[in-house]
Amino acid sequence: MSPILQVKNLTKRYGGLTAVNDVSFDVEPNEILSIIGPNGAGKSTIFKLISSFVAPTRGKVTFNGEVISGLAPHTVARKGVVRTFQETTIFKGMTARDSVIVAHHLRSRASLFGFYFGSARARRDEEEFGRSSDEILDFLGLGAVKYETASNLPQGHLRALGIAIGLAANPKVLLLDEPFAGMNADETSRAVQMVRAVRGRGVTLLLVEHDMAAVMKISDRIVVINFGVKIAEGTPAQIRADEKVIEAYLGVEDETIGL
Amino acid sequence: MEQVIANGLYLGAQYALIALGLTLIFALMNVLNFAHGQMYVIGGFVTYEVYGLLHLPFVVALIASALTLAVIGGLIERFLFRTVIKRSEREESTMLLAAGVAYFLDAAILLLFGAKQRGVHKIVNGVLILDNLILPWDRIVVAGLAIVFIVAFILMMQFTKPGRAMRALAQDRVAAQLMGVPVEFYGLIGFALGAMLAGLVGGLLVTITGVNSGMGGPISIKAFMMVMIGGAGVVGGAIAGGFILGMLESVGLTVLQAYGDITYLVIFVALMIFLAVRPNGLMGKPWG
Amino acid sequence: MTRMQRGARGAAAAVFLIIVFVVVPLAIGEAHRADLYYTLSSVALLSIASAGVWLTFYIGRINIGQGAFSLVGGYVSAILVTTYGVSFWLSLPIAGLFCALASVFIGLPILRLRGVYFAMVTLVLTEVARLSALALSITHGARGVTDIPAPGAIRLFGLTIVPAFNTFAERNAAYYFLSVTLMVLCFGGLWRLVNSRIGRLFAALRQNEDLASSMGLNVPALRILAYAISSFLGGVGGAIFAAIAQSIYPSSFTVTDSVNFMLNCFLGGLGYVFGPMLGTLVLYFGWDLLFSTGEYQLLIYSGVMILLILLLPNGLLSLRLPTRRGG
Repeated sequence: MSPILQVKNLTKRYGGLTAVNDVSFDVEPNEILSIIGPNGAGKSTIFKLISSFVAPTRGKVTFNGEVISGLAPHTVARKGVVRTFQETTIFKGMTARDSVIVAHHLRSRASLFGFYFGSARARRDEEEFGRSSDEILDFLGLGAVKYETASNLPQGHLRALGIAIGLAANPKVLLLDEPFAGMNADETSRAVQMVRAVRGRGVTLLLVEHDMAAVMKISDRIVVINFGVKIAEGTPAQIRADEKVIEAYLGVEDETIGL
Repeated sequence: MEQVIANGLYLGAQYALIALGLTLIFALMNVLNFAHGQMYVIGGFVTYEVYGLLHLPFVVALIASALTLAVIGGLIERFLFRTVIKRSEREESTMLLAAGVAYFLDAAILLLFGAKQRGVHKIVNGVLILDNLILPWDRIVVAGLAIVFIVAFILMMQFTKPGRAMRALAQDRVAAQLMGVPVEFYGLIGFALGAMLAGLVGGLLVTITGVNSGMGGPISIKAFMMVMIGGAGVVGGAIAGGFILGMLESVGLTVLQAYGDITYLVIFVALMIFLAVRPNGLMGKPWG
Repeated sequence: MTRMQRGARGAAAAVFLIIVFVVVPLAIGEAHRADLYYTLSSVALLSIASAGVWLTFYIGRINIGQGAFSLVGGYVSAILVTTYGVSFWLSLPIAGLFCALASVFIGLPILRLRGVYFAMVTLVLTEVARLSALALSITHGARGVTDIPAPGAIRLFGLTIVPAFNTFAERNAAYYFLSVTLMVLCFGGLWRLVNSRIGRLFAALRQNEDLASSMGLNVPALRILAYAISSFLGGVGGAIFAAIAQSIYPSSFTVTDSVNFMLNCFLGGLGYVFGPMLGTLVLYFGWDLLFSTGEYQLLIYSGVMILLILLLPNGLLSLRLPTRRGG
C-alpha cells in the first residue's frame, strides 16, 4: 500500500535558525505514527509544516500523492489533513456541541445562501450535523457535557473536545499535538483507548508527544527528531534499542522515558 | 530639487519627534493615542502664550509646553487609561477612551484658546543661502532642536535606568514585572513622556507654521500614518516613518502641485498598497 | 429555543414595530413636532451604518472606516440620480453593491491585519474617501452634489406602491418611513445572519482563527464576506442620507463619523445585534440635547463619554443580566 502522507526533505529556517532540517518519512494508511524528541527539537514545527500553517523553506509534503505544503491551511484541512492544537485551543464562548457542529462545516452540501435562508438542504445538514456531533461526543465520552460552554470544561474534557472537533472535520489524517500532556496515568490510559478507537474508524493518526510510555504503548511506528533532524525511525521495539535515541535522551530519568 | 530635499528633512525631523511620542505610548501601553494631535496643539498654544504673549525666552516657553503636556499625559494615564485597561476585556475600550479624550481636548482647546490661528515671531531671523538653496535659519534651528531631542530620547532609552525599564516593559510586560520593574509607574512615565514629545514639537512648530484649534485631528492622522509606515512600537520605525512622511509631503507638494490637492490622496493610497505588502510597516512588531 | 421564548421574541418584535410605525408618528402628530421626523430618520440611517461596523466587530476587527463607505454610497446614489437620471430606488442597492465590491478589493490586503493595525488602516480609509471626493471631477470636488431630487414613486403594474416623495404633505414623514423600514430590514437581516450557520462560522473565526482554519473554514473568504456586508450597509446608510439631505459633500462623512459609528456599537454593547440601534439613539439624542449648552456641547458630551467608558467598559447593554446571548 502506498503511503497516505509523505514528508520529503522538509526544511524550515527562521532567519538564522534551522528548526527543521531535511526531514523525510512516510506515513502508512491507518497507522499510528508518533513523532518524539527532546523539547525544542522541532516537532511542533513539523506539525505546522504538514498542516500547512507554515510554509517550508525547502522540501514538500504530499498527501495521497498530491503536494499540500504551501497551500492555505483550510484547503489542506478540506483535503483531509486535520490538526489539533496544543494547549487545548477551543472556541471559548461556544458550547461543546456547537463547536463540534461548526467543525462539520466541511461536510455541508448547502450553500451559504441556503444557510441564511434556511433552505431544506441547509436544515437537513443542520440535523445531520447535530446527530453526527452527538455521536462523536458520545464516542469520546463527552456526551454528558455537550451543552456546557467550552471554557467551563476541565482539562481532560478539553483535550477530548479538541479531538472531537478534529474528527468532525472528517479527517483522513489527524494530527494530534501532545494529546497526553499533563495527564495522570488513569487519564492517559483512557486517552490511549480513545486514540485507538479513532484509528478504528479508519483515520490515520500522527502524534507529537513527550509521554514516552504512552507513545511506546500506542504507536505502530515512531520517528525521533533531535535538533530538527530525524535521528531514528522504526517500531517501538527498534526505537527502544536505538543507541542514538538513548544518547539523545541521556541524562533523563529512565522512568520518564520508559526504557 | 535640493530645496525639496531640504524641506523634506526639516519636516521629517519634526514629524519623527511626533511619531516617537506616539510609538512610545503604543509600545508601552498598547494604546493608540488618538489625542496625540491635540497634545501637539496644546504644546503650540502654551508656547504661544509664554513666548508670544508673555515674551519670555523661547527656551522657557518650550519647557512650559513640555511640562504642561507631561502633566496632562500623566493625569490621563493615571486616572483614565489605567482604570479602563484594568477593567475592560476588550481592546476597543481603550481605543474609544482615546477617542473620547481626543474630543475632550479638542473642546477644551477651543474653549481655552479660542478659534483663531495663532503664530509667534520667528526665533531666529534671516536665511542661509547655499548655492541655490534657501534655508531659513529658524527652520534650521527648529530642525536642529528636534534632532537634539530625538538623540536625547534615544540615549535616554538606551542608557538610563528608566529607559531600560521602559524598553523591558515594551518588550514583555509580564517578564518585566517578574524582573521587578514597577510597570504601572513606568507606564505612567512613558505616557507622560510621549505626551511631552508631542507638546515639544507643537512648541517648536508654532514658530514656523503657527497653531490653531482645528489642527489636532489631522495631525493625529499624520502621526498614525508615520507609525504605520515605520512600524508601530519601534523607535527606529517611528523615526523612519517621520522622515519618510516628511519627504513624501515635500516631494508631493512640489511635484504634484499641477494636479491639485492630491498629494495626500496619493500618499494614502501608496500607504495602503505598502501595508498590503508589508503589514507591519518597515520595522514593526509583528501583529496580525 | 423553547416555544415560549420564541413567542416572547415575536411579541417583542411586534411591539417594537408598532411603536416605530404607528405610535411614534401619532405622537409626533399630536405634539406637532414634525422636526423629530428628521432627527429620527438620521438616527435610523446612522444605525444602519453602525450595524455594519458591528458586524466587523463580530468577526473580530475594529472598523473605524465606515464613514468612507457611507460617503461613497452617498455619492454613488447622488451621482446616479442627478447625472444619470436613475431612480433613487434603484440607486440605493447599487450604492450598496458598489461599496461591497470596493470593500472586497480593500479587504483582501487589509483584513489580514488585526487589532490596532487594522483600526489604523481603516482610519486612513475615511480620509482617502474624503480626499477622493475633493479631487475627482465626477464628484464635483468641494462643491459636492446638490439639488438631489426627492425619491420618485415606485410603480408596479400601473399601481403606485409608494408615491413620489414630493407629493407628501409632510415630506420628512416619508423619509422617516423610508429610513425606519430599511433599518428594520437591516437589523432583521442581521439578526437572522448572526443566528444562522453563517453567524456561527463568524463567531468561530472571531474566537479562534487558527482553529477555524484547521477545520476547513475558509477564513479569508469569510472575513471578506462579513466586511462586504458591512460596507454594503455603510453605503446604504450614506445613500439614504444623500436623499434626505438632498445634497452630499466631501465633508458629509468624516473621521468623526467613523469614530461615532464605532461608539454607537460600543455603547449599545458589542455582544448584542440591536446594540447599534440603541447606541445610535442614545448618542444622537444625547448630542442633540446638549445643544443648548452652546460652546460646552462637545466638552460635556466627550466628558460623559469618558465617564461612561470608565464605568461601563463593556457597553450600555452590559447592564443587563448576563444570561442572554446574541440579542
